[in-house]
Amino acid sequence: MRDAYLIAKNELLVTVRNPYWLFHGIVQPIIYLVLFAPLLNGVSHVPGFPAKNAIQFFAPGLLIMNVLFSAGFEGFTLQDKVESGFLERLRVTPISRLALAWGFILQSSATLIFQSLILIACSLLFGLRLDVLGAAILLLLIVLIGVMMASVSFTLALMTREGGILAGITNTFILPLLILSGVMLPIGFGPPVIQTISHLDPFFYAVNAARALVNGLLTSVSIPEAFAVFAVLSAITLALFIRSMREAVA
Amino acid sequence: MESSAGAVQAPIIQTERLTKTFDAKGRGKVEAVRGIDLTVNEGEIFGLLGPNGAGKTTMMRMLCTLLVPTDGRATVVGCDLIADQAALRRNIGYVGQKGGMEVVATGRENLMLQALLYRMSRAEAARTVDALIERLKLTAFADRTADTYSGGQRRIFDLAAGVVNAPRLLFLDEPTTGLDPQSRSRVWEEVSNLNSGGTSIFLTTHYLEEADALCSRVAIVDRGQIVALGTPAELKRQVAGDRLTFGYDSEADVAAAAALVDDDALVLEQRIDGTALQIYVHSGDDALPELMRRLGTGHAPPKTVHLARPTLDDVFIKLTGRTLAAESETA
Repeated sequence: MRDAYLIAKNELLVTVRNPYWLFHGIVQPIIYLVLFAPLLNGVSHVPGFPAKNAIQFFAPGLLIMNVLFSAGFEGFTLQDKVESGFLERLRVTPISRLALAWGFILQSSATLIFQSLILIACSLLFGLRLDVLGAAILLLLIVLIGVMMASVSFTLALMTREGGILAGITNTFILPLLILSGVMLPIGFGPPVIQTISHLDPFFYAVNAARALVNGLLTSVSIPEAFAVFAVLSAITLALFIRSMREAVA
Repeated sequence: MESSAGAVQAPIIQTERLTKTFDAKGRGKVEAVRGIDLTVNEGEIFGLLGPNGAGKTTMMRMLCTLLVPTDGRATVVGCDLIADQAALRRNIGYVGQKGGMEVVATGRENLMLQALLYRMSRAEAARTVDALIERLKLTAFADRTADTYSGGQRRIFDLAAGVVNAPRLLFLDEPTTGLDPQSRSRVWEEVSNLNSGGTSIFLTTHYLEEADALCSRVAIVDRGQIVALGTPAELKRQVAGDRLTFGYDSEADVAAAAALVDDDALVLEQRIDGTALQIYVHSGDDALPELMRRLGTGHAPPKTVHLARPTLDDVFIKLTGRTLAAESETA
């Protein structure tokens, strides 16, 4: 585990020196916060809109959106490391593949927590009122979701080996996952078909849980639901990532 | 290292029928390495020479645990390639073609990470890295980020990363590809120094001069197989020795001269090429005075003389019918 920590620390050092990736994920949610959230205020009186104040509805979802855009693109950094020979250099040292995989996951989680705190701070400026205990639990959920997104992205990166293909796959999947999660507008606004499909999007549960947590509805069933969904998905995808790290001909 | 008197020293690398087959999409299977048997001894600088795509890199990647062989077996630094991977990795160093420096980190930070991954304590790692930086004369650049380094400087840091753990055996994949001549000789110098310090070296190259200048033994690899093996001098002796070229004014003069040395025991082979007479001999230095005397007795003595040593390229041409330089350029 010392090795995983060493890798994570090195990766964080690299992230700090070259903070492009730190902001890559966070820029889109901030743009939404600044430009889209005010628009939502206009529809917050429409029947069926769950919150009186749009920011209470929108900000929690933003944190989930950030996981998609941040952890979901981690694979590109890993591809750079394959390309530069860095991963290969590490793979000849006695470090275990498991530690290597965990190192990258740890780094991604740390980045995600940092980004989430920035987003929460920005949302507070926009008038968000948040439940502190709920927000802390939400950070745990975010890390759990991040493990899944990063694992998927890392695994795809090792499988595809090519930035173009990885970008294609990533962008194709992220947008529908995002819309169906109900981050932008309540899914309840949509026709029954969309409502049904949205239940297949794991991020639908994440967004619901995030809203409950931020608004202090700590007994909401959506919270254990989301933790359960992502515990399973994270375990599966992490196992896949570790396996592909073992087999990777990097 | 542990050469106690009388003990037979185990080879640093020994392979038996080592094979790697890749699945090429839509084109069936590609046999990159086909059943190679090879023994490399402790203390050698051993070179795999061949054109791009010959299987050199695949062979090396199997030996340093980056690739699992399809078939065959091997021991490296006395450890089985599959069963004893952990011990194997502790005792080897590897410098890939791309090096793998983290460019936004400094050279020292890169080396520290490497040292810590070899399970050194922080203090031990710092000591090792300091010593290495000093020994390789990298002090002036060690605390700048790697993206400011020249190709040559970066290559020496790559080399440093490869020997952080003081390996018994160092793998170098195309160590000087893309370097300017000055950096290349610097790398050669450091590799020789490491070897003098007791590190065995296994390298791949497609540069003839590199194999010639650096290696104690060379295996020429073509299409996944070793087609020749020996010291550079031995390999060059396998081709018909040195070539002496005598230039004449006319074809008649050449024909007359050729008749003079026809039955000479020194001459291995002779060939007329326009107005030039090419004679292959074992040793050009010894044969030249005698042949000059003999040819001088004719009515037209030679106007020019040229002595050429065989190159490893001659060996490659003889063995494969293709030139190494041409192969590498088209690859």
